[in-house]
Amino acid sequence: MKKDWNFVFIAGLFEIGWVIGLKHAFNWWTWGLTLFAIYFSMHLLIIGSRRLPVGTTYAVFTGMGTAGTVILEILVFNEPFRIEKIALILLLLSGVIGLKTITPAADSEGGQS
Amino acid sequence: MDWIFLIFAGAGEVVGVMGINKVNKKLNLSSLGLLFGGFILSFIFLSIAMKTIPMSTAYAVWTGMGTVGSALAGMIFFNESKDWKRLLFIGMVLSAAVGLKLIS
Repeated sequence: MKKDWNFVFIAGLFEIGWVIGLKHAFNWWTWGLTLFAIYFSMHLLIIGSRRLPVGTTYAVFTGMGTAGTVILEILVFNEPFRIEKIALILLLLSGVIGLKTITPAADSEGGQS
Repeated sequence: MDWIFLIFAGAGEVVGVMGINKVNKKLNLSSLGLLFGGFILSFIFLSIAMKTIPMSTAYAVWTGMGTVGSALAGMIFFNESKDWKRLLFIGMVLSAAVGLKLIS
């Protein structure tokens, strides 16, 4: 179980990585790293969620992606800190996590990955 | 225009997730096409949208559109539960996305 969470955690880090890459990549090797991060984050998430509850796994994963991009764009990429924007992102994230957590995997045709 | 691309990116993710479900049931060219076509378009549109939209906003709305779109598609096409809690969460995501657009 603990090892599975490690996969999810590393998947979350690669998720933050590709989001940054998609906005800031500027040449062939930064785009290459971005594509690699997209592939790796999905791959590790799938491995990690084999034995973990899908809803919780996805909540941790997206939570990391969201928190990471919010924090890094303020600290590293000079976006202004705006409390109303962060509040709305938190509201959105709660909705996403709520939806993913109450949707039973077996019941979901178009839903869970 | 950038927000239109962001909505397209979310729609592409919904198509890609449908592709995953189809591939899990039956592996053939059309299900693989949905999977890869959906995700590739989704990432291309997301990167276009991010040229002007800050990455945290774009990422959050992209995830939100993907999740809400999949839930709505499940309710409309696959007869999934329309529980009030699911509708409430969908409402939260959509109103937050509209709010983010308004303050941007």
